[in-house]
Amino acid sequence: MSLDHIVTVTVGGLTVGMIYALIALGYTMVYGVLKFINFAHGEVFTIGGYTAAFTLLALGVNDAMSPIVMAGCILLALLAAVIAPMTVGFLIERIAYRPLRGRSRIIPLLSAIGVSIVMQQLIILVFGPTPVSMPALALGSASFSLGGIRIRVLAVVIIVVSALLMIGLTYLVRSTRIGKAMRATSQDMEAAEMMGIDTNKTIAFTFIVGSALAGIGGLLVVMYYGSLKYDAGFLYGLKAFTSAVLGGIGNIPGAVVGALVLGMTETYGVSLDLGFLAWFVLAGLVLGLYIQMVRVPGRRLQHIAEDRRTPEYEKSVKNVYRLAPYFAVKTLLAERTDALLSVSAEHAVRLMCGNAFLAASAAAMFVFGDVRIDTRWQPVIAFVVLMVILMFRPSGILGEAITEKV
Amino acid sequence: MTATLELQGVSMSFGGLKAVDNLSFAVNENEIVSIIGPNGSGKTTTFNVISGLYEPDSGEILLKGESVAGLRPDQVHDKGISRTFQSLRLFSNMSVLENVLVGMHAVTDAGVLSSMLRLPSVRREEKAMREKAQEILGMFPGRFSGPRQQQPAYSLSYANRRRLEIARALASDPTLLMLDEPVAGMNPMESREVMEQIKVLRDRGHTILMIEHDMHVVEGVSDRVIAMDHGVKIAEGSYHDVANDPQVVEAYLGKRAAEATA
Ligand SMILES: Nc1ncnc2c1ncn2[C@@H]1O[C@H](COP(=O)(O)OP(=O)(O)O)[C@@H](O)[C@H]1O
Ligand SMILES: [Mg+2]
Repeated sequence: MSLDHIVTVTVGGLTVGMIYALIALGYTMVYGVLKFINFAHGEVFTIGGYTAAFTLLALGVNDAMSPIVMAGCILLALLAAVIAPMTVGFLIERIAYRPLRGRSRIIPLLSAIGVSIVMQQLIILVFGPTPVSMPALALGSASFSLGGIRIRVLAVVIIVVSALLMIGLTYLVRSTRIGKAMRATSQDMEAAEMMGIDTNKTIAFTFIVGSALAGIGGLLVVMYYGSLKYDAGFLYGLKAFTSAVLGGIGNIPGAVVGALVLGMTETYGVSLDLGFLAWFVLAGLVLGLYIQMVRVPGRRLQHIAEDRRTPEYEKSVKNVYRLAPYFAVKTLLAERTDALLSVSAEHAVRLMCGNAFLAASAAAMFVFGDVRIDTRWQPVIAFVVLMVILMFRPSGILGEAITEKV
Repeated sequence: MTATLELQGVSMSFGGLKAVDNLSFAVNENEIVSIIGPNGSGKTTTFNVISGLYEPDSGEILLKGESVAGLRPDQVHDKGISRTFQSLRLFSNMSVLENVLVGMHAVTDAGVLSSMLRLPSVRREEKAMREKAQEILGMFPGRFSGPRQQQPAYSLSYANRRRLEIARALASDPTLLMLDEPVAGMNPMESREVMEQIKVLRDRGHTILMIEHDMHVVEGVSDRVIAMDHGVKIAEGSYHDVANDPQVVEAYLGKRAAEATA
């Protein structure tokens, strides 16, 4: 396995991760304001890809065109891939979610799943059941060489465009008037209303922005892979949703971090030898052990009430984590223990299982060092990564954007 | 002269419970009116109905003669009614300054595109907003100075959070300011300070409708007092008239005790 290969795979992982991030932002922003998962978001992505491809086909884009005309055509496709998803996202919220707002949580959720199914059928109805294919362009396969390593131009385009969009979104949410309204709405919708914010407008805007980002994701994917199927939104949506949860649902930087972690592990997982990947798992194990042995017990100790703080008690809390198999299980089996100890014991067992899993995986991977995982297993890898990370951090890598309750 | 706020026979019930029952009163310009009454007597619900959180079952709510009943909360706010909350409802993950800026949302109009492009008009508006926010926060000397303004609201002390709620409500220059128990949970010194600030607000021309349990504060600032019990207005007048009204004493102390003191 050469360095070239590793660099190529890394660029591939970053590219996929950025696409996931573009879609994940829509999930996480909507969750931020409405506390619900917009399952139809994956289809909004598909619509972006389809409208982009159909626009390019309709314009008859080909390599004989002058670069300026071609750039104009791509710009038009981009416009279509933004406007169509925006409109769809806006309508979905208006028709399927707003009338149900304020009902029990399961109802909008069901509506979202329903909308997702309906949207897939609508895509087939409008665009036909065969996958849409991009016109074959030299740009699609163009690449350049960096120190002898070939890198696709489109991969760089995807990474740069996504990064710029994320910077723009961060600015929008942090510093603009509508961004403040979005944050206020997500923290306390009623109070925001009584402070003069039209929350309906703010929510509609959130859907529009999320949909536009997903639409651009669709355009980039169809250009990168050359074609898109009507149900592509399902798997992409699922991965993006996973990314959002992985990074901490409702947390905007979290969605990007989660997406990059997912994109990288997935791509590394099926492209590199197990023996090489084992080192990453080993690094994860070191981090996991640090969390179990040092970080978490340190935090727990701060939670001990002043009047109960004795060296023996502190030691028993630490032991629960450090000698987990023995003390934690003993604590859990004991007839009566205090609340802090038993909570810590459960926590310790969970962390220990995570670390044991990492250790076992690393060992197995070293044994089967020259095996490569089949591409079909990609979703499984995504799932395993999600479970392991949530075992150590239930609220995601950067934590959920829950309002601090005081 | 039309009253700043006028309620005419407003009723609001939850299921079978009449939380506000045929309530009528008026608040005149530059007046401070306090609503008192035992817990559960419908004071906060009255505020919620005025704010547009609930639509009244019947009755009319007029702001300077114009009906605001049935409008959405943000529309009521646009008309000029701003408020604070009994149970604090700051945007706790946003900074002190941002909380005040959100309070100005309705009186600013930077669009999305012009904000993203940072057009000069947007920059001017932002600058003016910041200066105004500084000025409002400056009304609480030493409480929100310098770096404190960048701290998230959840990191503030309880009394400062109450002050920040008032600052946020003032940000839109409301025609009517409604304060729901502004000194609840404060110690006597802090209450006195807030009381002085409310007087300053009156001197600046604000019109205030206030719910308050602390009788020192009510006595200290009110031009007029309204007493409620079980959703009904049971007395209205000067602090002394209302405080000595037998029905009010009874509402607070129970019938037997009221007879014993009589
Ligand atoms: N959203 C609501 N749903 C049902 N009952 C409510 C609601 N809000 C207030 N109430 C009831 O209305 C009555 C008046 O409450 P409230 O206005 O908060 O009283 P106060 O502010 O005077 O203490 C209480 O009995 C309360 O339980
Ligand atoms: Mg109340």
